[in-house]
Amino acid sequence: MNDASAEAQDYNALADDEFRALARRFVEEHYPPELRNPLRRLHWRDNRPWYMILAEHGWLAPAWPREYGGMGLSAAKYLILIEEFERHGCARVSDMGVIMLGPLLIRYGSAAQKDIYLPKILAGEHIWCQGYSEPNAGSDLASLRTEAVLDGDHWIVNGQKIWTTFANDANWIFMLVRTDKNAKKQEGISFLLVPMDSPGITVRPIVNLDQHDEFCEVFFDNVRVPKQNLVGEVNKGWTMAKALLDFERLAIGSPKLSSYALGRLKLLAERMGVFDDPAFRDRYTALRLDLADHKLLYETFAEKVRRSEPLGADVSMLKIFQSDLFQRITDTMLEIAGENAGLLDPLDGNRSLHASGLFLQARPTTIYGGSNEIQRGILAKNVLGLPGG
Amino acid sequence: MEAVEEQTERIRMIRDSAGAIAMPDDLKRIRALRYREPGFDRAVWRQMCELGWTALRVPEAAGGSGLGMREYCALAEECGASLLPEPLISCSFAARVLAGAELARLIAGDMIIIPAWQERANSLALHGHTTLRDGRLSGRKVFVPMALGADAFLVSTDRGLALVAADAVLLKIDRTQDGGHYGTLTFHDAPAKAVAGDLTEAIEEATLATSAYLLGVMERAFAITLTYLKTRQQFGKPIGSFQALAHRAADLKIQVALTRASVEAAAATLDTSSVTALRRAAVSRAKARASDAAMRITREAIQMHGGIGYTDEYDVGLYLRKAMVLANLFGSATLHRARYAELATEDDDE
Repeated sequence: MNDASAEAQDYNALADDEFRALARRFVEEHYPPELRNPLRRLHWRDNRPWYMILAEHGWLAPAWPREYGGMGLSAAKYLILIEEFERHGCARVSDMGVIMLGPLLIRYGSAAQKDIYLPKILAGEHIWCQGYSEPNAGSDLASLRTEAVLDGDHWIVNGQKIWTTFANDANWIFMLVRTDKNAKKQEGISFLLVPMDSPGITVRPIVNLDQHDEFCEVFFDNVRVPKQNLVGEVNKGWTMAKALLDFERLAIGSPKLSSYALGRLKLLAERMGVFDDPAFRDRYTALRLDLADHKLLYETFAEKVRRSEPLGADVSMLKIFQSDLFQRITDTMLEIAGENAGLLDPLDGNRSLHASGLFLQARPTTIYGGSNEIQRGILAKNVLGLPGG
Repeated sequence: MEAVEEQTERIRMIRDSAGAIAMPDDLKRIRALRYREPGFDRAVWRQMCELGWTALRVPEAAGGSGLGMREYCALAEECGASLLPEPLISCSFAARVLAGAELARLIAGDMIIIPAWQERANSLALHGHTTLRDGRLSGRKVFVPMALGADAFLVSTDRGLALVAADAVLLKIDRTQDGGHYGTLTFHDAPAKAVAGDLTEAIEEATLATSAYLLGVMERAFAITLTYLKTRQQFGKPIGSFQALAHRAADLKIQVALTRASVEAAAATLDTSSVTALRRAAVSRAKARASDAAMRITREAIQMHGGIGYTDEYDVGLYLRKAMVLANLFGSATLHRARYAELATEDDDE
């Protein structure tokens, strides 16, 4: 383990407000000012400086246990950290390794896999992307068909992934592959770690409506992957990935996007001279209360995590409500922006006044990470116990 | 009054003839024009003029076809379905007030004249601080669509309208989501020619034509989405068989139908009524509906497509981005509801 983690203090021993002050000082001292409040998610080449600063100080992996080089933060402290980063306008780093793969390896990986991969994530040597969705396996993820066939000491991978975020930045991909075509569809899936420079891999960026290339297609043509790169047991990948998706569904239900957007709505309303309009004020206050109540609901789930209780299927409520709220806030931005709603670039050259950009960025939030239609199905079936599906 | 069948037949012919240029199944040309100056194709524009599109509303005595708003709205709708970027609505707007040589050159496609009337966002006010003194124009106009393609601007001032050559104007460009742009025009004692007439009635027609264009946008986005719902398979069946999507699609169909009813009724009102309040109320009602419905349908179109709908290479997103630009042009839904509330009594809702 690196020096930073060896010296790491027990942040959890600090009082909440002490830790908050510490986190605030940290971003004020160390965050590169030119990266504040970026319009879009940053590529690795752009977020690398901040990633490396976090890595140097041992702040890159707040949720990992300290023995693996993380901060070992409790959920309560982690939430404070997120709030302070958010308040300062810190960009999201290339964190798929930190957020998604790290916890999975810590839970399911072999000792050798932990030794190899975790330090390289912390050092910024391995930048990961997540290969789950396929052209014909979106909402119905378990129907994925990219297959891995064992050939001596190697898996031979063939198929195609899509919506792979920043595959054009990553040098490794963790992916779900079909290893048993005869099993029930969830039961023939394995979890594989693949270097992106393997012969036979092609990446094609997809430009989205926000004119950004964060999503990609990744093609696999007879890609040879060492046998030991499979995590956990063969054909148990679905269970592991689902456990990870639970983390994602909590993170994805975080109030931060809506909170950010509501602040922007207020600035725009002031700029457009409608903030004191009674009809607008009513609508704004309704959104504000939706956000305030969402934060309370989010807290109840965070509290469960704090008490180390597993999250139930009802966590889907957070994702549905937050993404829907984010969209309603940005819909309102367009409605009050007048003709500026159609602008491609920020109003007055001010990044905080970019109604159309935020509106477009809010669109995929109800699609990715399990579409809201899928999430409502989960709620109806697994929480409400309604028949069908 | 002429027979209804005759008009219906004429509208059908206009829709057919629009097919020569408006091709909703092939948006390659539309894509290629995005973010290029001037954002549309002058040769196609000339073709549109040759088909008589700009002169549709111009009286026959002045060299036009003298057709009604119902015909014009049908044409605008076809243009919307194919996302045509050529400045039909702007130039038709100008053609309603120009006369003589300028009108002749405009409707022949020799000269592109774009109205510049607006001085602030979220407003239909035709006059502001722009002044005309001794043939000199001073002031500032905003949100002038496709300004880079104009040969001249038709500017509203404190003393009537004025024509100003494009090269006498200081132009600032803001790109728009649909691949076009708005110009902000600044005049400092720019030489201008006074023109008789005013934009008061013509802006109602332009507003309604924009509503009809939005109707075409939403219909096409809805059609693309329906096809997808019928063909995209997940969980072993077409996603349109899932009730959550099927019911929403049914709701969207209702919005399309409401918009069509509202736009067609407003067109009929403009064609038949001379009562200003009634005419404006009908236009506001149609624009409020069209703006909201276009946004709702194109947003839902993205959602129902999932990830593919959010890509630039798939057509349905082009319709969302067009709706983002036009929903608030010539007044947002909020603005038009407020105007409707001022103009119309409950009896007018019938």
